Amino acid sequence: MCGIAALFSYRSAAPAVDRDEIEAITERMRPRGPDAGGTWISPDSRVALGARRLAIIDLTDEGTQPMTDVDGELRIVFNGEIYNYRELRARLERLGARFHSTTDTEVLLQLYRHDGANMVELLRGMFAFAIWDPRARRMFVARDPYGIKPLYIADDGQTFRAASTVKALLAGGRVGRARDLAGVAGFWLMGSVPEPHTIFESIRAVEAGTSLFVDERGIHDVRRHYSIAATLLRGAHDVAAARLVHPPTLLRELVTDSLRHHLVSDVPVGAFLSSGIDSSALVALATEANGQPLRTVTLRFEEFLGRESDEAPLAERFARQLESDHVTRLVTRDEFNADLPKLFDAMDQPTIDGTNTWFVSKAAAERGLKVSISGLGGDELFGSYPSFRDLPRIVRTARLPFASAAASRLARSPKATAMGRYGGTWAGAYLLKRGLFLPEDLPALMGAPEAREGLERLAMIDHIGATNDPDPGTPFGRVAALEASLYMRNQLLRDTDWASMAHSLEVRTPLVDATLLRQIAPLLMVEKQRCKRHFAESPGTPLPAWLAGRKKTGFSVPLAEWMQLRPDGTSTRMRSWARMVMERWS
Amino acid sequence: MRILHVGTDSFGGYGGIALYNRELISAMASHPSVDEVVVVPRIIVGALEPIPEKVTFVTTAARGMLAYLNALRDARESFDLGRDLIVCAHVNLLPIVRMIAKRPLLMIYGIEAWKPLRDPLSNRLLRNVRGVVSISDVTLDRFNGWSRYDGPSLLLPNSIRAEWYGIRPKNRNLVARYGLEGKRVLMTLGRVVAAERYKGFDEVLEVLPDLDGDISYLIAGGGNDIPRLKRKADTLGVSDRVVFTGLFPEEEKTDLYNLADVYVMPSRGEGFGFVFLEAMACGVPVIASRLDGGREAVRQGQLGRLVDPTNRMEIRMAIRDALDAGPKRIPEGLGYFSYAEFERRTHAIIDALAANA
Repeated sequence: MCGIAALFSYRSAAPAVDRDEIEAITERMRPRGPDAGGTWISPDSRVALGARRLAIIDLTDEGTQPMTDVDGELRIVFNGEIYNYRELRARLERLGARFHSTTDTEVLLQLYRHDGANMVELLRGMFAFAIWDPRARRMFVARDPYGIKPLYIADDGQTFRAASTVKALLAGGRVGRARDLAGVAGFWLMGSVPEPHTIFESIRAVEAGTSLFVDERGIHDVRRHYSIAATLLRGAHDVAAARLVHPPTLLRELVTDSLRHHLVSDVPVGAFLSSGIDSSALVALATEANGQPLRTVTLRFEEFLGRESDEAPLAERFARQLESDHVTRLVTRDEFNADLPKLFDAMDQPTIDGTNTWFVSKAAAERGLKVSISGLGGDELFGSYPSFRDLPRIVRTARLPFASAAASRLARSPKATAMGRYGGTWAGAYLLKRGLFLPEDLPALMGAPEAREGLERLAMIDHIGATNDPDPGTPFGRVAALEASLYMRNQLLRDTDWASMAHSLEVRTPLVDATLLRQIAPLLMVEKQRCKRHFAESPGTPLPAWLAGRKKTGFSVPLAEWMQLRPDGTSTRMRSWARMVMERWS
Repeated sequence: MRILHVGTDSFGGYGGIALYNRELISAMASHPSVDEVVVVPRIIVGALEPIPEKVTFVTTAARGMLAYLNALRDARESFDLGRDLIVCAHVNLLPIVRMIAKRPLLMIYGIEAWKPLRDPLSNRLLRNVRGVVSISDVTLDRFNGWSRYDGPSLLLPNSIRAEWYGIRPKNRNLVARYGLEGKRVLMTLGRVVAAERYKGFDEVLEVLPDLDGDISYLIAGGGNDIPRLKRKADTLGVSDRVVFTGLFPEEEKTDLYNLADVYVMPSRGEGFGFVFLEAMACGVPVIASRLDGGREAVRQGQLGRLVDPTNRMEIRMAIRDALDAGPKRIPEGLGYFSYAEFERRTHAIIDALAANA
């Protein structure tokens, strides 16, 4: 886990890369990689690479980046983890490759040499990297299938720039700060900026699951190497295999395999534990796979004491059952207020989420952990969000004759009255369900001309609809693709990245794994929401009824109480928080 | 000790389970402490192979269900259930076997044991078996997963008589028959039936367009799914590179394997994958699945290459690597699955059960 940066003056007319710029960009990412850092500039000053390193695999100096291959030719900066690097290395060694370290980073170099751009489809893990190939005078850039690891680029037509964070690119001083109205509109609509937009016009995200080349022609051969919708569709065609095995057993097998990969580390791995099914089953399976109890962390808030949303009592009880080395960390309003400036500084782009991960990561780091696993992604995988129930209903209802007109007249909620405008399509229904504000609210928030331009460029309905192309074929598949490609990618995963990295903690998400999704998709298509129950039964000792039967509450923090947010006639608490974020985020 | 083997088929049977049973019966009979193995088969469909010494093969049992039950009842009367061993050689026979013995030894192989049985009675009867012998870890894990069985569990993987196979030049008649002149050949052998769409035929077909044009795919076996696979090959634009043998004579099998340059079966439903052993015994490099018993047939990658059957790129690269791997050779480690090892493991199982009796 690291922060990476790359500069490439690809046009002959472009000025040489600037050492100060690469160092400033790299330095801005110091919390992401406190263990080591370095920069490299090519002899002709056309390419610069920079990295900050959080050492997890191969703790020696051999793992320092930017790294070169054994021949001193290819160079790489890499952020993330390749969980199947040992298998890949064994194959490459059989094919004659040589290595100078035991890192996953170096495996990427040899894999690129052997398989070129196809390499990304062989990787199991979370990754964002840039490889400089001096012989071909090109840079290869890639990002993992789900977008767990971030990668942002700025291309002014002469120089290509890339970094792990938006703020790091800005810190280099050469990238414009003009706001991207599409990104701003996206934030107001969804509570986070939908990629590939960012909040700045000059900066774009490398989209999840894509790779690209940069050479003297600029960016080209942008290729999507993974599609969640296509994977789910494929699963619907492959159900024969899923029907062979008892569902909890198959889940146990596949999730344990994912866990074994996610537990690969040269430092201890801990876990976030809530009182929900996903984190509990995951910690139970991880304990079995690990052969010993894990260090676990749960948050507690005074404001939740005695309420259902207090996760600590049940988490503690389950941790005792697993004999985990468990800590419950109390977070107070005073601590939140004290941390708020740091939180906004670490927040890479405006978002209404991330506070929960900020504190649980802080608690894990206080325990000396560098790596923690999280149950993030379970709701998207097993269909446990209300959207899996509500979206099909909205689409069905909105398509009924006269239903929309009736809803517009009778309903009081702005969203209900908008059902006729949006509810008839899956994309529109998703916007209605997940939207923070609706498009018609935006002129009041960002000005009418700005809202018009932002919404036009954002084309949110088309953007949402594209995540369901190809059509996964079933309501469950459609909602699963929407949630994983939008809410989880743009909000949960992105917020987990900045909020954990601010505490130099690597969060690993075994349920957000492209290989797991490919393998489990047939089962999901057969069992749908029943998978959650099967998951609770999957550990050697199934989750106890007092845990498996608990009502879902979500991983929330008492923001409303801390910030004294109050809903009014048109605004929910989250909308109030969004306004505050936009004001204070810098 | 005497052993009563109650199975579906063995001598005079076709297919993987029949072959496994023949080897098992032979190995049990060669144990010094075993005085006799009485075999009660449910079906006999072909000519009987030589029956080993100390084996009594009750051919009359295969004449029908009533004859089968009568044969079982007659056999049971001569057995001492406290000392002798009753082997239930298929989980579907458990209700019948339980009528004559309370604690049989249960044999499990593959998909028949991967999820709860249709008959609730059988699911309950499982708890009291004397032990479970599984062909593979994957079958045992999947069986334990739903049955929560926690009694003695033992492994007995398939064996291969490598001397029956061997590396041979490509048979010219077969090359001509299947139009494989000058082609590099990928091969999968198995039943091509719609109910078993987890063999990996589709996966190999889907990577074929991305492989060099001189590579053909030989699908050896018959079944009702061939028309669909032909249509798929046509849609993918590779119909001229895919060959279906249909049902083939058993005596051609070794020559068929020897047509292959790579044996590839990215399946999801194999309990073990005896075909991998056969292919390796012909010196053909094999590509097996990480997600089923195939991984155990190649000893977790020691004898062959493992792939994730859901990852097309991984299959493609594994095929490319295997085609570039050099001359054919029989892996040294294949001896792990020799009949001598199988016999030794069978004897160890009998000893362990006798010690726990």
